[in-house]
Amino acid sequence: MPVDINIIDSLNLFEDLSHAELEEIAFLMSRIRVTEGEAITRRGAPAHTIFILLSGNFMVFFKEGRSYTLHNKGDIIGLSTVVIPFYYTGTAVALSDGVVLSMPGQELLRLIESNPVMSDKIMKKINQIVSARLPFVTGRC
Amino acid sequence: MYGLDAISAHNGWQLAALGISIVFTCLILLSLAISQIHKALDFWDRRYIYYQRIKKLVQRKHRSEATVSDPVLPKNVKESACQCKLLIERIGEPFPLPRLIDFSKKCGLLNSHSSVNDLLQAKLIIPDGKGYFLWNHEVEKNIKVSMKMNS
Repeated sequence: MPVDINIIDSLNLFEDLSHAELEEIAFLMSRIRVTEGEAITRRGAPAHTIFILLSGNFMVFFKEGRSYTLHNKGDIIGLSTVVIPFYYTGTAVALSDGVVLSMPGQELLRLIESNPVMSDKIMKKINQIVSARLPFVTGRC
Repeated sequence: MYGLDAISAHNGWQLAALGISIVFTCLILLSLAISQIHKALDFWDRRYIYYQRIKKLVQRKHRSEATVSDPVLPKNVKESACQCKLLIERIGEPFPLPRLIDFSKKCGLLNSHSSVNDLLQAKLIIPDGKGYFLWNHEVEKNIKVSMKMNS
């Protein structure tokens, strides 16, 4: 069942999208309940799914124990699904019970490739997030 | 009296000038209105986008108001703070958050993930900006002071 379009619309990543574009995105998403201590991504595993936080708290950790935490609605986990070589660079663990939206990475990539305008809007934001998180992955903080 | 004399005698020239000016003024106003129609049509076509923008602005305002409000300290923060502080002293600062969680699990701390999350929310554990975390002695002091004042 597609996710309510108003939920998608309230997320920072999709705030510049038109109604029709939001409908396309909403159709690909599904809601998942996550329990405390559950890992939704594992470092080194193929990145198939991207997650967007609706509620709850997460820790994403990398080599040598470096980590950051996510607490806000709209925070994204699993950006490796749209970044080469498509392997998760970190392990994301729920620090509390919560709800996330999940979206198959292949579907998001297909959508981005087929719609250059949408691609521009989304990839600009994804690049900002990736560049902010990259120091945690590489250890060059 | 006939002809031009009659026109002059009955203010005919003034009336003619007034009529011409009224007609031309109306024509100018009409042409201005027509020249702006494309803007009105554009606004009508983009009404959904404008509506969304206004809605987002209102939502952002609500969000910023919500973040300004005072944070509420979780109930079990005191107990988990005492336990985690001892563990952090043993690990050393700055410490990796996953290690603190592993360590607290091994030491039998119940709900170690949510306990650490409570401390993060209470700002007792803060990031050092390099991927590791620190114990916030300032917040600890403030909590102790407020607890003394309450008792």
